[in-house]
This record gives sequence, structure tokens and C-alpha cells, in this order.
Amino acid sequence: MSLGHHNAWHPPGPLRTPDDCLDERTVNGYSKAFSGSRTPQMRGSVDADGPHAGNLISEADTAAEEDPRIALFRDLYNRSEAKINGLFSGKKVAEDTISDAVAGSDEAEAGDQRADDSTPPPAPLRKPARKLDDDDYDDYDDDDDEEDTPPPAPKVFAPVQQANAIPSPGRPPSSSSLSAGADATKETKKESLEDVRKKLEEDKKVTEEAAKRSFHTIFYTLENDRDAMLDQQRLEESERQVEAEMSGQTTTGNNQTSGSSGYGSLSSANLGASSLTLKNLIARIDMKRTMVQASDAELRSLMSEVRKNRSKWASEDKIGQEELYEAAEKVLSELKAMTEHSSAFLTRVNKRDAPDYYAVIKHPMDLGTMTKKLKAIQYKSKQDFVDDVNLIWSNCFKYNTNQEHFLRKHAIYMKKETEKLVPLIPEIVIRDRVEVEAEERRLQLAELDGGDESDEEPIMSSRGRKAPGKSSKKGAAPARNTPSGSEPPGGPMSQPSAPARSDSDIPIEGIQNGFATPPPGIQTPSDPAGAVPGTSGGQDDGMDIDGLVTPTTALSALATPGIELADPESKVWKQVTKKDRALVATERHRLFKGDRINSEEPALLRTKAGMRRWLRSQKQICTEGDKPTEPSSQVMGPNAAGETLAEGIEGEEDRVIPDYYDVMSGIPDLPAHLLWSEDTEGNLIDASDEFLKILPKGSFMQPDSKLCVKLNANMRQMQETRKICSKIGIVKQMQIQSQMYQNQFQKYQPDSFIEQDAEPHVMNDNGPVISPWVCKAALQRSVAKVFYHTGFEEYQPSAIDAATDMASDFFQKIGETLKSYMETPKVPVMGTVENATPSQWKRAYTEPEIMLHTLSSVGIDVEGLESYVKDDIERLGTKLTTAHDRLRSLLSELLRPVLQDGGEDGSMAFADGSEQFVAGDFAEDIDEDFFGFKELGLDKEFGLATLSVPLHLLQNRMYNAAQSQNTSISQSVTVFQPPPSYPRITSESAPSQIGLLQAFFSAKLQATNNEPLVEDLELPPKQRPMAARPRLPASGRIPPPSNLPGPTSSPQKRPLPPSASASASNANQTGNSEPSKKKIKKNSGAAMGVPDANGEDEAATGADGAKASNSVSNIKSEEGPVTGLTNGKGAVENSAVSDASAADTSQNKNHSNAVPLTNGAAGDAS
Amino acid sequence: MSSDRTPKYRQEIQQMMFVSGETAEASVETTTLIEDIVRQQVVEILSRSTTLATRRGVRAISTDDLIFLIRHDKAKVSRLKTFLSWKDVRKNVKDSDDKGGGDAADFAGADDPMAGGVVAGPQDVASKPKNKRARVGLAWDVNSFYSIQVPERDDEEDEEEEEQNYATLQRLAAADERTKHMTREEYVFWSECRQASFTYRKSKRFREWAGFGIVTESKPNDDIVDILGFLTFEIVQTLTEEALKVKEREDREKNRRGGAENGAENAKKRKRETGLFDPPEEGRTPVEPRHIREAYRKLQATPNKNIAMLLHNGRVPARMPIRLI
Repeated sequence: MSLGHHNAWHPPGPLRTPDDCLDERTVNGYSKAFSGSRTPQMRGSVDADGPHAGNLISEADTAAEEDPRIALFRDLYNRSEAKINGLFSGKKVAEDTISDAVAGSDEAEAGDQRADDSTPPPAPLRKPARKLDDDDYDDYDDDDDEEDTPPPAPKVFAPVQQANAIPSPGRPPSSSSLSAGADATKETKKESLEDVRKKLEEDKKVTEEAAKRSFHTIFYTLENDRDAMLDQQRLEESERQVEAEMSGQTTTGNNQTSGSSGYGSLSSANLGASSLTLKNLIARIDMKRTMVQASDAELRSLMSEVRKNRSKWASEDKIGQEELYEAAEKVLSELKAMTEHSSAFLTRVNKRDAPDYYAVIKHPMDLGTMTKKLKAIQYKSKQDFVDDVNLIWSNCFKYNTNQEHFLRKHAIYMKKETEKLVPLIPEIVIRDRVEVEAEERRLQLAELDGGDESDEEPIMSSRGRKAPGKSSKKGAAPARNTPSGSEPPGGPMSQPSAPARSDSDIPIEGIQNGFATPPPGIQTPSDPAGAVPGTSGGQDDGMDIDGLVTPTTALSALATPGIELADPESKVWKQVTKKDRALVATERHRLFKGDRINSEEPALLRTKAGMRRWLRSQKQICTEGDKPTEPSSQVMGPNAAGETLAEGIEGEEDRVIPDYYDVMSGIPDLPAHLLWSEDTEGNLIDASDEFLKILPKGSFMQPDSKLCVKLNANMRQMQETRKICSKIGIVKQMQIQSQMYQNQFQKYQPDSFIEQDAEPHVMNDNGPVISPWVCKAALQRSVAKVFYHTGFEEYQPSAIDAATDMASDFFQKIGETLKSYMETPKVPVMGTVENATPSQWKRAYTEPEIMLHTLSSVGIDVEGLESYVKDDIERLGTKLTTAHDRLRSLLSELLRPVLQDGGEDGSMAFADGSEQFVAGDFAEDIDEDFFGFKELGLDKEFGLATLSVPLHLLQNRMYNAAQSQNTSISQSVTVFQPPPSYPRITSESAPSQIGLLQAFFSAKLQATNNEPLVEDLELPPKQRPMAARPRLPASGRIPPPSNLPGPTSSPQKRPLPPSASASASNANQTGNSEPSKKKIKKNSGAAMGVPDANGEDEAATGADGAKASNSVSNIKSEEGPVTGLTNGKGAVENSAVSDASAADTSQNKNHSNAVPLTNGAAGDAS
Repeated sequence: MSSDRTPKYRQEIQQMMFVSGETAEASVETTTLIEDIVRQQVVEILSRSTTLATRRGVRAISTDDLIFLIRHDKAKVSRLKTFLSWKDVRKNVKDSDDKGGGDAADFAGADDPMAGGVVAGPQDVASKPKNKRARVGLAWDVNSFYSIQVPERDDEEDEEEEEQNYATLQRLAAADERTKHMTREEYVFWSECRQASFTYRKSKRFREWAGFGIVTESKPNDDIVDILGFLTFEIVQTLTEEALKVKEREDREKNRRGGAENGAENAKKRKRETGLFDPPEEGRTPVEPRHIREAYRKLQATPNKNIAMLLHNGRVPARMPIRLI
């Protein structure tokens, strides 16, 4: 509210009037139009007062003078408008307006001085038009040019009008009373003064309201803030200066800082509020005066204590000082606050600037000095103060004689403002309390009779003056009662005020050319508008002077219409918000040092009050938005007032400034789902369901695409194949070494791949998960999968990391490219470039285009992708399958070597391949009887197809393994039941044996202490009495027996049984026969034979017929087991060998025929 | 290496170019340029495969190393595999006995054009089933995924190979087209040209020329040399084909521009052009070194994908390694 300085003077209506343009430093379209339309003579005829006191009026006035028809139009317009007003709103108001308007127009036609002062007529006129602009058109400003002719009445907006009309009816009387002040009686004048003051306050408020409302509709740019800030700084500078000078002298008022003085206008609002409350109290006391026990003095002191804003000026000794100084200070600060104009008058004129100034001006004065004087309490009365103020302006006029000097312009403006402000100062002469009280007493005595009335009067008056604290009813009475003549001081005070004003008006009028202001003028008359580059004040000056003076300047101003076309609205805006804008800008500016942020500076803090204000204004906007056409826009007023009151209590500063200036106080909108809302039972409504989401399953898993299915199938296939590989490996290994312990051969049992999803995750927003590490892990997994699919069974982490990084980089590039393609500006649809409407714009690329462009920019084409799928996945799958099949068949071959390839007896197993050598089969091809079986005639004797040794005898281990695995097969092979084993030979059963053996058995039994004899077959293989294992000499050939001399035969492994050696010696043979026989036996184990061995034997031994048969029997006995073996008994080799040896050693003298029959028994015996 | 300055393969290169579609006689400059390029490529191949061998811990280059270098060119790999397997067959036949002397001769005859890069003609197909053709396995094939050697099976058709032969067949078809209307003498010349090789029967010269002893320490075996012979032919062929394309485009451009320049020349040109029965090969100018250079530049261009795969924000390093053609 502080900013209202001079706008406060205009009713809201005239906000848009040309005055404002003039007030502003702008050269403005219609102001020029005015000046242009006006003849110089007319301008001259208009007295200086007009422009000074109220340009608006003078304008309207002159316009009317100029063209009676226009005046007529206006009159008509006023009436019609008033009628409309009446129609839509309260009748009374309408009537008022009509009468006012009529009166105004009449006055205007009369064209006298007073009419100039009576602003009303144009005011109601303007308002509606302006309002229209506000609500309907943006370009309606042009209207102002033609405002002489009334705007079309039907367009008038009823509600709006009403809102604006309200102030206007009230005002006319006040202004008239203002102008008529000098003539009016003192009583009326007092009243009118009160009225004026209230009026002014109201106006100020209304203006602010209007400005505030415009905050929501218009966005003002910030470029003027700097000027405002600089002006404000200048003001504060001077304040500080004054302060500094005063600090030494003054005892009071030190507590107020220069900064706070800037808020003067704010505090004035608070003052009003607080005085209002007191007012009620006082009225109450007045009413019940008789019932109040306390004396006047007591009341007075009480009130002074109670009063809240007891100011620094309050003084017990000086009566009237507080009121006077409060008002004076306010006026002074308001004057100073008009920085656009006041800056030149803030400080004393420097001698350097104007060397001759002090020669011309004998009594220099400036606002700074006045402040000093004020603080030093040097003013005794209002008159003193007003005189000083006027002295400043008159000095200016005196020094700057040049009519077009810009300072004159300022001075004129300031003077005008002064006149408007001065009525605010109560007419008080400060007196000493002692003096006053003495007087009071005297008066009391004198007027004891008529006490009642006089008693009440003072109190009333004190209330009226807003100075309840210091003046008792009696003290106040004199001051106020000046007109009654009893008080000498009162008279002079009130009287002079009027003259002073008239002085200021009239002399100026006359002296216009004679006075000069401090700094010498620089501007040339011919170039007033060219002075724009100067200070803002300079521009302003130019404007005013345009209005004032020569036609040439007016014309030149006309020629420069574009300098500033700001509409009145923005002017009001500027004025109203200037101070606050300046403050805000300063605050911000403080944060900077040079062009950088100053880190030392304390931070700007948000305040509760600011935030509350922000919220309130937001609410306001909302309500306004809801019911924009609601007729009672006045409601806003009361509302706002109520709120301001509340704020006042909270010590809040209200600022007339839009929200976007107060960025700090802004409160972000709370999303609806985060609000703390309660249902009817007071339970908190949990809205978390609406915005909290669980991350959908599978966000971090491979989607179930065909490609993935194939990929996974391939990988599975590889695993299976690897399993087979490992089995094959085990089988091969087992052929080399036997299984010793359980886990000797590791089984390859890979787990199938399962992709793990991320854990359940709660998100409070839509969109992708921002979790780089999880995403990276997912990508790593994908990379690993591709690796595996390519054939790597395992890999190093670093390799995966590197590949992952590259992949992520690559994908990032793809993403960036994709984004840039998607963000390509839209292009118009073909052929409609000129008149393209939004719907006719399309995206630069379609989605497939975007994808293709992106892919090609990273060097991938669709064919490549397709061939990857076809070659590297599908075909790989088939390849893997074939490989799998082959390996499986390889494994099965390995597992069943005999049973698969050979017949049931395995004789076919060695038909081909290298096994022939092992079995001795190869010899067949070259007709060599490798084992000598053929020579023996065995093949013929037994009808054998081949004389080779079946391989499975050599591979018995494998064979056993196969058998154990396929027990069912081996069982089915067993056709005959094996015969029951022979009972063990015991001492009892021994006699039943054939006689030849009885002695042998009994000897054995004796050796074993008559324990039953254990058969060799029952023993574990290693404990069986082994005949010497068949051994081959290094040559691999069994030397023919004939070549074998006794000594060269292989050493005997076992000592011959005593009986055998005895029999051998009995047989009368040379030692070599037996060894040779043994040799043959042994060698027969290895399936060796020499064709002529027998012959040689016979030749050598001659008589021994048994020998040949023996050797034959040896072979035969061997043959038996061999054929038996083929029937399915494995591992008989040893027994066969032992058989032969046993028969040889123990029974070489026996008949050979018995040998095959007693084969088993012979084995037992040995 | 000063001796390298003198061109050694002029005739071979000319023959190869002829086979690749160049009809006119190329100038010495052209062949020399091609020879230089080829040698550069050969040296590069050798040094890279040496590096690979070293990485395997072996000093000698193996055929796998060479094939690995060109693994991305599937058609080429398949041709190479075919070539190697046939070579194997020939060797086996020769080694086993002398009973199929005629066969061996057959194979030898079939192999020569193969050494020149053309797979055995149809006359060889009949003899294929007779001898078991060893399949050339590569280290990165499916079979090598497993620890156990996957047994071969003959009954399965290798469809992949057939498909990979597609490019080869295309080439053969083109050659067929060209030779369709040849006279007997021309065809003889043509088939002579087809046998041109850098290595066949000039192994020693090739070794010297390629600087074997310098580039690689080991002494490459015959297989390597044969593969290199095959690859060199491929290089020359690719270069020639690309250069022909370049030249063709240049000619077209020139004609159009010439037409725009002046009418007289235009008319003259048109007259010449419109000669419907003009044998196209006459009046054709041979490929010039600039065409070869342009073709080489094109073949050396780094594909987008490689650039996009680069880290460091996709900035192309100042020097990229030579690309193998």
C-alpha cells in the first residue's frame, strides 16, 4: 500500500487518463494528441494551476473548451452511462454519478479555475471505459486518444462500472471542499479535512486494489525494476545522510533506520488500523463519560500507555507534537518516495553543480534538510513545515528560469503532490504541556457551567485528530477550536495554511518564468523530446513541458510517438508497485557482487507472512477465475480489508506487488495425492494406492519373444551336448584307469539358465526405473548370454565388463540418435506452408523412418539383423542339433562295444578295425598260423571258424562293466543252469574219492588239520594259487620247445610238489623234459604253439608216449575252459592255466584221458 | 626392398583384371598401383596372422589364422574352404597311390582355376563322391564348442555350404555369360587368364615379393601360400570391379555434363553412344590409376558400425588400421 503516493490522488477511474501519461516520464500517444490538438493560446490561457494540481482535469477542461460539441457528447455520454449504472446498480449511486457528471461537465464548460480542481466529471467518464479495456480488449488503449468523444455506452460493463463508480460519488464533495477550503467555515473545513484524509486513504486503497487485480491479468516485464531500484537507493542514500548528520544532534528517533523510513507508507496503514480500534474505545468513553470514574488526566495517561503505535515523536511535554510530526514525517517520506521526481530535491544543491546557486537563492531548502529539521524537532507547527516544503519548489522555480527546464517539471509535479498531501497534516501548533494544562485549568474554571458539552467536545476532537494520547479534551479543544477564536495559535495555524497554498499556486502562475531550480537546465527548448536519453526525470519533464508550452515542442513530441507507448495501466502499475519493486530488486541485487553471486551475503529467507500472502493471492485468483462476471466485485474490497487487518495484527507487511516478484514465498502446488486429507470421521485417507506402484514383474527379464525362445533353446541344446561330451570323456577315461573312488569322474550336471528378476520394488511414479547398477547388471547378463550362445562356456569377469561397457555405450548412442530424430521440428504438411494451422503440421519423420535412420547411422541395417537371426541363431540351432545327435551316437557306441556290434557271443565284434591285431586275427589274412592252433589241427577238431582270441577276454573289465550295466541281457544269455558245485572234501568224504587221490587228499587234510579243503575257485582271485603267469619273452614269440634247453627255460615259479618231483625222477627223464612240458603249458596260456614241438619232444624223449598226449591234453584241457568261457563264463583264464599246470605237474604219469574228465578235480588237487 | 619397385606381376594382374571384367588393356601405372596395393594387403595379412599365431603361442602361421582374418566375409570363407578341401583331396589322391593317375590329373586341372579363385567347374562334380572330401573345420565352428571331437557324418547335407556358395555361383554364372559368345580362341585365352595366379608355380617369387622373411619369421607352408594366392586374386578382382563401377559412374557423369556443354559435341557423342551395334568393349578406355585409387578409398572407408562402436564418444581416431579387402 505504500506505493500509492501520487496515484492515491486519482480515483481509480482516471487511472488511464492522459494525466497519468504526463505524470509518467513517457511520451505518450494521446498526450501528444492532446497537445497537438490544443492551440498554444489555449494552453496559455489555462493557468498553471491546472497542470499542477490536476492535469487530468485541465485536459478534459481544455478539451471541452476547445470543442463544445465534444463537451456535449460527453455530457450525453455521462448521462447515458449514469443511467446504465442506475439500471445495474444501486439507484442512489447512479443518481449521484449523474448529478456529479452533470455538474462536472457544467463546470468544465464554465472553464473557471475551480472547475479544474473538480476532477469528478472526467473521472466517472473514464472509469468505465478503462474498465472495459481491462476486461475486454487489450488494445483499447487507443480509446484514450478519442476519449473526448464518449466511448460507446452499450459496451459499458455494469459490474465493473459499479466497482469503479463507488469511489467517484464520494469524491466530488471532497475535492470541491478541497478547492473551496479557504472559503469554507472552519467547522466545515475541519470536517472536510477529515474527509479529505479519509478520502485519500480510500483512493489509495482503491488504486491499489485495481493495480492488484491487474496483477493476475497482466504480466509486467521487469526491465523497469532497475530504475526503480536506483531511485530507491538514491532516496535511501539521502535518508542515510540525514541520519548520519542527525545522529549526533537528535536524542529521539535514533531507533528508526533509514530503511524503515522507506516503509513509512506501510506504517501509515497500520496506524490507521490501530487508531480505528482506539477510536471505538474513545467513542465508548465519550458516551459513558459520566460513568467513568477516572479523571481526564488519568484517562489521558492510560490511553497513551495503551496506545500501541506510540511513536518516537511522542512527548509528554509537548502537546500535539506526536500528531504533527507523524503526519509531517509521512508527508515528507511520501514526497521523498516519489523518486522519479524528488531525486533532485533530496539533498542540498551542490555548489559545484550550480556555482551561482547561492547567489540567487538566499534560503536554500531540500527534503534532506527538512528531514533533519524534523528529526531535530524544529518545526513548531504545520505551517512551518509546509512553508519549508513550498520553499523548495519556489526555489527551484526561482533558479531555473527557463520554462522548459526539466527541474521545473519536477518541481511542478512535486508541488502538485505537496498540495495533495498537505491536507493530511493536522493543523496543530505544538505547545508546551505546562502551558496547555494551565490553560485547560483556566478554561475549566471559566466554562464550568457548560461543562458537559465542552467536556465531550475535546474528546471527540482528540479522536478526530488521532491524537488521543497527548491532548486532554481541554487541551485538544483549543487546538481544534481555533475558529472559535479563543485560541490564538489555532487561528494563525489554520489561516495560513490556505494562503500558503494559494500562495504556492498563484505565485507560481505568475512567476513561472522567474524562478529557477538548483541545477541549471541543459535542455534546449527545441528538443524536449530529445531529452529522453537523460534521466527518467528528464523524459518526464519533456512531457510535462510539452503539455505546458510551445506548439513547436508539442509538435516535436508528436513526431516522436514511439518513444514509449506504455498504456496507462502499466503506468499505474509502475507507480503503485514502484517502491516494492525497488525493494525486491534491491534485495536481490544485494546478493550479487559485480556479476557474480556474493557468497558472503546472507541468504534470502522465506517468511511465513510472505507465504501466507502468496497463498491468499492464489486463492484470490482462483475465486476470480471461478466467477469472473460476478457483479459484486466490491466484495474483493472488504475481503481484502479484512485480511489486511489480520495481517496488521500479525505484523505483516503487505506489498503491492505481483507474486512473481516474490519468488521466495511461492509454494509449489501439492499434488492431490500427497495432500493430508481426512475423511468425515477424521481418519487419514491413505492415497498411497493411487501413486505407489510395484514395479511390474519381468521388467528386468528377457521378454518372451520368438528370438529369445530360440536363443534359450540353443543354449539348452549346448548344455545337453556338453553333458554328453562329459560322459564320453568319462567313458574314455575309464578305459584307461579303473574307478577307485566315488567322485573320481566328475559328472557334468549344469543347471539350466533361469533369469532372475529384480526384487519387488515400489515406485512412486511412472516411467523407467532409474537404477544404473541394476540396469547394468541386467545388461551384463544379456551380454553373458550372447557370449554363451556364441560358444563360450565360461568367461572372465573383466571380459564381460568390457563388453558390457561397449554395449551400453553403443546403446546410448542409439538412444541419443533416436531422440534427436524424434525431436526434429515438425514440418508443415505438403503445400500448406503459408497458411499452416497447428493441425497441418506433422512430424518430420514417421516412426519407421526414425528407426531406420537411427539404425543406419550406427551402421546396422535390417538385413544384417535378419541375417543374424537366420544364420547365427536359427541355423546355429540346427547345427547344434546335429552335433548333439552325433555325439550321442558316439557315446552309445562307446558304451556297448560288444553287445552292439558283435553277436551274442561276441565273435563278430572284431570283424573290422584294429582289434584284429590284438586278437591275433590279422594273421588269418596272411595265412600265418600265429598261435600255432592250425598246426595242431584245433580248428578242424573243434570246427572253429577262427583261431583268434576273442577280444572281450582281453577287455574283460569293460565287458564286466557292460554286463553289470546290462544284467538283464546277460541273464537272458544264460541258457543252462550251472551245475551244483562239488562239495568240499573233508576227512569224511575223502575216502569216497578214487583211490589214487585218497592219499593226496588225506595228506592235504592233515596239512590243514582236517579242515575241509577249500577250492581254488572259492578263493578270491588274488589268493588263488596261481600257476606262473604266462609270460612272453621280449621277442614276443614263444621259442620252440626243441630249442629250449633246460637252463634257458623260464625259472620255475613254484617248487614242484614232492610227489611230482619224485615221479619226475622216477620217470627216468632228463631234467629238461619236465621243464619243457611246463614251458609248453605256460605258453599255451598265451596261446602260442609251435607246429613241430611235439615231434621234437618225441624225438628227444623217445619212450615217453605220455608226453605227447600230455601236451595234447594240456591243450585240450585248455580248450575246454575256453569254449566254456564263450558260453558266458568270464574270468576263467586263470583257472584254465592252473588246470593245465595242475594236470601237468601232478598227473603227468596218469593216463591222459582222465585229464579232461577230472579237470575240475585236478584243479582242486593243485 | 628396392627391388620391389619394379612390378613383377604385370601380366598376372592384367589377366586377373580381364577375368574380373576389364576388357581393355590396363596401363603399367594401373597394374603397378594394383600390385602395390595387393602387396600392402598381403603384408598386412601376414603380419596380422603372425600376431594371431603368437597369441596362440605358436610361431608358425596356420591356415586358421588366415581364415580368421577374413571370417566376416562368409562367401570368401566358404570359397576358401572349398578350395582347401579340394586341395586336400588332390593331395590325398596323389599320396595314396598311382592308380588314379588320371583322376589326379583331373584334380590338378581343376585346382588350377581354383587357385585363381574360381571353384572347380562342373566337370569336377562327378568325381566328388568318389573321394571323401575332407571338410575343413574352423576353430570357431559349432564343432569346436565341445571338448569332444564331433564325429563326421557323410549323410548330412551341408546346406550352409551350399548357401554360401551362392556368391561363387553368381560369379560363375557371370563368367559363363561372358564366355557364352566367345570363339574358341577367345575362350582359350580366357581360360588361360583364369589360371593367372600370384603364387602358382612361382612360389619363390611370391615369397620374395611379399617379403615373407621380413614380415613373418616362420616359413609359411604351401597351404598358406596357396591361400594367399587365392586372396590376392580376390583382392585384384574386388579392386577391379569396384574401379569399373567408379569409372562407369564417371563416364556417365561426363556424358551428361558434356551433353549440357555444347550441342555439337553432344550430337557427336550421342551418335557414338547410340550406335546400337557398337561393340561395347571397343572404344572403352582402360581403368586408370585414379579409378583404382577411388575404389581403394571406398573399400577402405570405415563402416558406420565400427565408428559407432568406438568408445570415446564416437570420435574417429586419426588413423584406422588398414582394412583387408
